[in-house]
Amino acid sequence: MDIPDFLNYAIAFFSLFTLNVFILLYLRHRKDYHRPLKHSGWMPSVSIVMPAYNEEKFIVLSIRTLLDLDYPADKLEIIVVDDGSADNTYRVAKAFEGQNLRVFTKENGGKGAALNFGIRKATGDLVATMDADSYVTKGTLREIIPYFDDKDVMAVTPAVKIRESSSWLKEFQRVEYLMILFSRKLLSFIDSVPVTPGPFSMFRRSVFEKIGYFDEHNLVEDQEIALRIQAANFKIKSSMTADVYTEPPDNMKDLITQRVRWQRGGIRNYWKYRHMIRPDYGDFGMYFVPLNFAALTAFFLLLGLLVYSLLTTPYYVQYIWLEAFGMDITFVTFVGSFVVLVSTFFLWLAIRSFKGERVKLRYLLSFLLFYWYIMVGYNVLFLIKEIKRERYSW
Amino acid sequence: MKRTVSYPIYAAAFAISLAIFVIGIYIGMQIDQANVRSISDDVSNISEKVASIQLLLLAEGNSSSFCPVYASQLDSIDQDVERIGYKLAYLEDEKGVFDSELKKKYFIMEAESYLLSQKVKALCGDDSILVINFYSNAGCGRCREQGIEILKARDALAAQGIGAKLFSFDGEIGSPVAEAFARQYNVTGYPSVVINGRAYSGFRDSESLQAYMKAAR
Repeated sequence: MDIPDFLNYAIAFFSLFTLNVFILLYLRHRKDYHRPLKHSGWMPSVSIVMPAYNEEKFIVLSIRTLLDLDYPADKLEIIVVDDGSADNTYRVAKAFEGQNLRVFTKENGGKGAALNFGIRKATGDLVATMDADSYVTKGTLREIIPYFDDKDVMAVTPAVKIRESSSWLKEFQRVEYLMILFSRKLLSFIDSVPVTPGPFSMFRRSVFEKIGYFDEHNLVEDQEIALRIQAANFKIKSSMTADVYTEPPDNMKDLITQRVRWQRGGIRNYWKYRHMIRPDYGDFGMYFVPLNFAALTAFFLLLGLLVYSLLTTPYYVQYIWLEAFGMDITFVTFVGSFVVLVSTFFLWLAIRSFKGERVKLRYLLSFLLFYWYIMVGYNVLFLIKEIKRERYSW
Repeated sequence: MKRTVSYPIYAAAFAISLAIFVIGIYIGMQIDQANVRSISDDVSNISEKVASIQLLLLAEGNSSSFCPVYASQLDSIDQDVERIGYKLAYLEDEKGVFDSELKKKYFIMEAESYLLSQKVKALCGDDSILVINFYSNAGCGRCREQGIEILKARDALAAQGIGAKLFSFDGEIGSPVAEAFARQYNVTGYPSVVINGRAYSGFRDSESLQAYMKAAR
């Protein structure tokens, strides 16, 4: 066995191990996974902070669904912060101003700053962040509240989903979001939720006084704050029933741009919190934080190995490529196909855990087939930007 | 909140991964062996075909009336011989599967088809070019490169309608046939190329080889 073979094995083993951890987490916690939470009946006051930058198109629907939430009006406060939009966002939002909805406008300063601005105005026991391009359903809020009966819980993430559509790229992301959602729920069982997504994550307002507000200079501020909550050893829980629908990028360029931003910001945040790689931080420190570094390393190694094997393909293979393909179904590829098999099983577990979500088979298959290529796309771009030390900003 | 590490989960995940790995590697080894067996079967089949043509040659004496039959049979045999060689090389290069018995068996079959091609060429007077590549996988820096150059030369000539048949022998795995051939053509070092019986030792690029091959017709 030569070095490339050994590395291939190592990566395959690592992937299998990671998948197996998630599958075992599901098997171990599957009862909690589906069991509805008991609720003490506590009805806290809730503030929803919605920063908006050039969102005149989507904000109306977003505000309407918030106003339509099934929750006592005197316990609900909605704060819209127009982040110096160039369009009519402020005027459009202003039209909804009323008893429990206030609209502010400020100079453009980024999402983190707009969030902090709104949170400082908030008076609720709980504060939710909201994106102007996302929509809640009537029951979303009520699904989240019971998690806060546990005094250690400082944040709860909602079930961020994408509406079923006929767009290939959107359906593709829909599958991905369901898988992320499923994984996040599993991570919540070992207190390792790594992100409190922008649309409708709920926080105890006191947490901001304890650990500080959003990092205003972060590319993925909704991840950074989650890591900070983890570093303070507070709990983040994950709801699978508090649905919030978001509008994903509808073209490849925007998608890649978004992912490059997540990747650049994400890996910096994990690096910032690398001191958590210690048993004191439990599963989060010993498994999840290292997992992120290992996964990125494994990905680039795999990409490198692939390029290497293409470059070193013997010349004569062109005469027997079909036979060579057949002969390749051995050692590494066989283990590799186990990885694909187990991934498929994991995807199946994830999708079937959502009662109301149906995904067409062709989208599932294309997800399995093409996800890798999109990952290659944004990771290579990520690497180039890092090597060129390109300016790190939104 | 007091945190803990779920060691049992990780231990179980490790054990399951290891089990899948062991099964995967075991099945992989079985497939590698099956590949070796299938190549070995191919070699035997070709040896039989070669033998049947040899029989026909013996029965017909030196009559050239069966030349078209010989030619078409030999073309397909020589192509198969070449492909099997690549498959063997692929198993060795990419899979690390090396079976010296199979290689020796392959060289015998290759020598048979070479000698047969040579005989038919003399009998029927065709203008095909027989090329032997003597190489060694042990300490021969340019042998791999030489192999590529030969293939390039063959493909370039084929594009001009000039056919050449390739045979390759590893001179240093202890194959008596390969060694006998090397002695016959005074091959002492690797790489060496023999074109229609004439030996060229040392590395030759594709252009030189094309020139030699054209000259040898």
